[in-house]
Amino acid sequence: MVRPLPQRFPLRMAALKPLLWAGALLLARGGGAAEVAFVTTQSDDSVSIVALGEDKVAATLEVGGKPAGVAASPDGHHVYITSPEGSYVSVLGTRPPALLRRIALQGGPLGIAVHPDGTRLFVADWYGNRVFVVDVASGDILDELPTGLSPSGVAVSPDGSLLATADRDSDQVSLFSTADHRLIGTVGTGKRPFGLGFTPDGRRLMSADVGSNAVTVIDVDSRRALASVPVGDRPYALAVAGGRAFVTNQYAGTVSVFDLQSLNVVATIETGEYPEGIAASADGRFVYVANWFDNTLSRIDTVRLRVTGSVRTGNGPRAFGAFIADVPEAAVR
Amino acid sequence: MIIRTKHFMLLAACGVVAGTAGAHGPARLKVEHSIDIQAPADKVWARIANFHDMSWHPAIASTQGSGGNVPDATRLLTLKGGDGKATIEEALNKYSAEHMSYMYKITKVDVAVLPVTNYAATITVTATGPSSSKVEWRGGFYRGFPNNDPPANLNDDAAIKAVTGIYQSGLDALKAEMEKGGR
Repeated sequence: MVRPLPQRFPLRMAALKPLLWAGALLLARGGGAAEVAFVTTQSDDSVSIVALGEDKVAATLEVGGKPAGVAASPDGHHVYITSPEGSYVSVLGTRPPALLRRIALQGGPLGIAVHPDGTRLFVADWYGNRVFVVDVASGDILDELPTGLSPSGVAVSPDGSLLATADRDSDQVSLFSTADHRLIGTVGTGKRPFGLGFTPDGRRLMSADVGSNAVTVIDVDSRRALASVPVGDRPYALAVAGGRAFVTNQYAGTVSVFDLQSLNVVATIETGEYPEGIAASADGRFVYVANWFDNTLSRIDTVRLRVTGSVRTGNGPRAFGAFIADVPEAAVR
Repeated sequence: MIIRTKHFMLLAACGVVAGTAGAHGPARLKVEHSIDIQAPADKVWARIANFHDMSWHPAIASTQGSGGNVPDATRLLTLKGGDGKATIEEALNKYSAEHMSYMYKITKVDVAVLPVTNYAATITVTATGPSSSKVEWRGGFYRGFPNNDPPANLNDDAAIKAVTGIYQSGLDALKAEMEKGGR
């Protein structure tokens, strides 16, 4: 039963320390994989890497270019980081954490998502009003899809068929087919949609509307806005866990939680200052929130609906996107 | 002639900002500044607690406002030395007398006056002893230029320098006034 500890991620150590947060989570997952947060810390040009069983940053990688967006590959082997000021995407390996290469783009790459098959990246160009479709293996730009103004959040539907962008300064989302990159249509949202996310069944798409203090809930099939759910001051991004949406409210310093069926807000949870990026653990038991001003990553218990842990990160954590990678432990052996 | 050219460039830059309201550069910036004051926290808080009176700051010529000390209240700050034309419009986001803290945002400012966009800040007084306190001012904002490759007067450094200057001069003056006593 005694196995050598991985050098940079003492994950099993964490599982042996019940007081460390999420230790139980690692045990429950059987040690086949471990969830690791890759938090872009824009103010110090780096990525803070936090194993979700640890109480401190395990490693820091400098990537430069004011990193903001992040997307973990479905197999957990890679994480892709956008640098809007450097106009590139950094490709990180996850075990051990390492900067492998850069993919040069143009403009201001911000929002990013990976296709579920792992072969393509979709990267929004904040300045160029387009999405780059990038081949992961070669780094080649396969296509450029015109969007509305200032595309920010990017999401791919769980079945991989649809690509969505939040076109912030056009007050809309754009929906594309990932098969032929055709624009299927646009749907009007509230004012200045920024973060974006599909429900796990793929039937709904939601945008956090910065200028309306609300989340627009869109029916994907009919491409109609069904509802506008009032949340806190300056909603930024959202995650789904346990049939509920968790929405970061930047100026309020809170996370609003609403039920995906009734659309009723069931809780408002105090976080740190300027909560931004938000992502759920694979089992939905916790969501993690990057607090930009406080330089912390907070853990929210999705059953008790309160903050139950916090880790200090580098300066200015944004973590805009799917920042938790399910890293296979076998990857290094 | 050189001065006129510079002036014109600044106006041109303002036009860009005005034409894309709400747009901003890629990286949000933060400034934190605090000062220890040898005066009780409640006395210091009393001096700054009214959102519609910013006379404690040496750069402010006048404050006009409405809506009291509750969220969405607004104020118009007129700065000294701009012939009354250098103004900043602000709104309250959060206010807590209990925590001696308020958060506000800038709703309108010319980047020639203050080279920032999407600015919000929190000012908080904390007691550090029965007759001593700390005032902390924390701001989050973007630079004045909304695209890549900003001109020097509208880049990240210019924004940080301008906000740092406001916080330093304001808190220095507040400390001096509070520690003078007898007011």
